[in-house]
Amino acid sequence: MAVFQGWSYEEILTPSVDYYSLFEQGMGQSEARTAFRFTDNDGHLLSLRPDVTSSIARVAATMLSRAPRPLRFCYAAPVFRQQLQSRAEWRRENTQLGCELIGSNGNTSDLEILLVAAEILSRLGLNDQSIITLSHAGIFAGLCNDSGLDQDARLEIQSLLNSMDQAGLRGFFDRNQIAKEVAESILLLLQLSGKEEVLTQARKSITNSESVAALDSLQKIWTVIRSLGLENRFSLDLADVSGLQYYTGMIFKIYIAGAGYRVGRGGRYDGLTAKFGAAEPAVGFVLSLDTLTEVLSRHQVNISTETTQGRTVKLEDLKTTFSEALARRARHDQIRIEVPD
Amino acid sequence: MITVAIAKGRMQDDALKLLGKAGVHLHPTALASRRLAVEDSSGDYRFIFVKPMDVPVYVEHGIADCGIVGRDVILETQADVLIPLDLGIAHCQLVVAAIDKDVLTRSLGMLRIATKYSHLASSHFGALGIPVEIISLSGSVELAPVLGLADAIVDLSETGRTLQENGLKVVDVITESTGRFVVNRASYQLKADKLTRFTHSIEAALGLATK
Repeated sequence: MAVFQGWSYEEILTPSVDYYSLFEQGMGQSEARTAFRFTDNDGHLLSLRPDVTSSIARVAATMLSRAPRPLRFCYAAPVFRQQLQSRAEWRRENTQLGCELIGSNGNTSDLEILLVAAEILSRLGLNDQSIITLSHAGIFAGLCNDSGLDQDARLEIQSLLNSMDQAGLRGFFDRNQIAKEVAESILLLLQLSGKEEVLTQARKSITNSESVAALDSLQKIWTVIRSLGLENRFSLDLADVSGLQYYTGMIFKIYIAGAGYRVGRGGRYDGLTAKFGAAEPAVGFVLSLDTLTEVLSRHQVNISTETTQGRTVKLEDLKTTFSEALARRARHDQIRIEVPD
Repeated sequence: MITVAIAKGRMQDDALKLLGKAGVHLHPTALASRRLAVEDSSGDYRFIFVKPMDVPVYVEHGIADCGIVGRDVILETQADVLIPLDLGIAHCQLVVAAIDKDVLTRSLGMLRIATKYSHLASSHFGALGIPVEIISLSGSVELAPVLGLADAIVDLSETGRTLQENGLKVVDVITESTGRFVVNRASYQLKADKLTRFTHSIEAALGLATK
């Protein structure tokens, strides 16, 4: 939480019990179904919160609709989900640590969220043992829109891509007589994981404007990551197409050694607040605090709990742009930095 | 080091042969011993031999970085793992078999189905709208209809011989299965270099040389 504070995120508390329809709208039907549900006196379906983001999107679009933007929120709160018996992610109650940046668009806000995540990991001493994988929802969406695939086909391809099932994908393309170029470029996504060179490779065969715009935006993000000297901590995984009913732009996942499953995920979800009021750009991420503490206790890392008493500086007052503040912060750490845009 | 979980039994020999072609060799004496975890000659890989149903468990939890196991098992356990390669080994079918070929259409009551694949069996009959009672067994499933424990079974069949020898006939084929190379989601990212190299060498061994 100290990291969040350093980046000016305010802690927010949301209700533990809320109407199920909130989460159904916020998370999409299939994810919301993992929630524990029960009824109110008047028959309304209630739920123990399966996520915090939905509630934050609602509060931003309603109660705080007139508050100055951008809004920066963070939270550490338990969420409740039903789990399959065999899952590596077996907890039904899980403490999520997360943050949301609402009302700010573009690569700088994407980058801010990524840097917050990276800073948390390095404070935990996990620099060498963690990786943040980046992708962009626009790449797959562009491929699909360009080739006119229907919704059912998209979902099927998405789930096959999600498990990297090459044989399954080939079978699906054959059965449904998907055009060869489309099939090839989707299969290519499976090969596209690595560092910056992945983007160059992708450009060779992916040419539709939507996907190219997505690649451009990843390129910009990567350029800054590289200039901050953080390229060991990040990688690109363009086959990551999970949660696309939710995310609209950059998406990322966080993995640490010792945990078999991702410990966090995040991305840009510009469509979400529209469900509760006005559409606004938004980006955020969550970390599973329980998995983190479990792995850290096995690593026997001593987490420093000391916090330094700092003063709050209002950037607006200083009339500096965010990029400058970001740059200053990095230069303070004696890192050479060049911020585009 | 990369830890590879291999399904014991049916698939083990084919899997090791394939790995041999991919340049990963196990010492014969290590194999002959009863140790369940052995290292290959280069020391880059550690192999663990576990029951097929347990392979997805080890891989999903990241205890094994990758593994070789049948598609049937992946479907049954609903494991959340990456499935980058179809190895084409140990091909078989998951079938419904019974003594009486018409058992499904004749019975209007609850059918008793004996199986090791309770999840796949119940979803298969659920989709057909046939009410069934699943009896979970862990082996020798073919015996169940013979002794009257069940009306039919859902089981793997490679050649159909075991079924035939126990007087059972194939009523329906639920799905086909072959050995798959599975990878843990976190390992795929954290040990990207090694695992990609390993995947490519297996792919090359399969004769699917990558472009």
